[in-house]
Amino acid sequence: MKTRNGCREWRELLGAYALGHLAGDERAGLEAHLEGCAGCREELAALEPVALMLPHGDPARFELAPEPPPELGRRIASTIEGEKQRAQQRRRRRTFGGFALGGATAAAVAAVLLLFVFGGSSQDASQPVRFTDLPEGISISATLEPHAYGTEIHMYVHGVPSGTLCRVWLKGPRGASYPAGTFRYRWGDDSDAVLSSALDISRTREVVVDTGKRTFVAPVNPPGATATIGQEETT
Amino acid sequence: MIQLGTSTRGALSRERDVREAYAAHSGELYGFAVRSLGDAGLAEEAVQETFVRAWRAGERFDPKIGSLRTWLFAILRNVVIDLGRARAVRPAVAEGGVEPSVEPLDEALLAWQVEEAMRRLGEDHRRVLVETYYRGRPYAEVAEELGVPEGTVKSRVYYGLRALRVVLEEMGYED
Repeated sequence: MKTRNGCREWRELLGAYALGHLAGDERAGLEAHLEGCAGCREELAALEPVALMLPHGDPARFELAPEPPPELGRRIASTIEGEKQRAQQRRRRRTFGGFALGGATAAAVAAVLLLFVFGGSSQDASQPVRFTDLPEGISISATLEPHAYGTEIHMYVHGVPSGTLCRVWLKGPRGASYPAGTFRYRWGDDSDAVLSSALDISRTREVVVDTGKRTFVAPVNPPGATATIGQEETT
Repeated sequence: MIQLGTSTRGALSRERDVREAYAAHSGELYGFAVRSLGDAGLAEEAVQETFVRAWRAGERFDPKIGSLRTWLFAILRNVVIDLGRARAVRPAVAEGGVEPSVEPLDEALLAWQVEEAMRRLGEDHRRVLVETYYRGRPYAEVAEELGVPEGTVKSRVYYGLRALRVVLEEMGYED
């Protein structure tokens, strides 16, 4: 057997030993040294878990070092900025809604303002729609806006599987459905889907979103809805 | 463990903190996402969703419980699971030259850790570990090919394993 001087020379065999590559006299000599050397035993104990991890690696992948594309960071920043703006818009809408419903005087002022801005009655106001009893992790909301052609729907969905095809339609007073269109939800894209339907906002009673596995329905109570009662719907 | 200078409670609630976290960890997160999803496009989606979720929940991050890196990996793990479920319904085509992984997620994470650590090793150390361990070649043959004594190959295997341990510890590995 080759004579080895001191721990250092024995220690340099510990890697091959931990991998099960030492045999014969070299192995026997190292094991004899280990029996009397606490420092080398400690060093071996530190290497063994690493040696046990090696089988999990695939050497064909050692050369692959995928890097995220340069624009990914900007996309994330842009998504976060968009989500912040959306939250601010919601807060403003809630603030306005609270003000409008705050009292008779406030309601009268709001009605005058709406009449001035839209040239019509208060039923022309944008209408936030709340979806309740949603499963944990899923957020759905909508805002309806009046137009001469019907209703514009700003649809926000979050939390369903990425790639989910969402179908949206409005329902009138007698339950007739008016298609509003489809969109595909993608993770990271938190912009509203802007859709439109031929149904007038004053006659809209429900917003329905079908995500394939589940259908979500939210009630709509447009102000001044009584003015349209009796009109016939067509599908 | 890798720790960020900004790792205080709520460290990800500001956009500037997200940018710092992205600069520090996006490479690793993306590498793991590609390894486990096998699709560069899905991996981008997963990393984006991870940072957006982290920003939304930024106030809840507490460095006393774990490092920012560990927290981001935990979020990414959930995102990958969600994406895996979505893909089970809608089979995807692999892109980016990487075969899709079919391993369970924890195995994929372990595999990625070893592969990333091997990539960070010096060439001399990686080479002897690949030749002797993964290719099972005799030490004498490797020594001859490299033009060094057989004892040098053995010592490089030893120092290579030590270096690998240090790299794994830097990546957050603990016994």
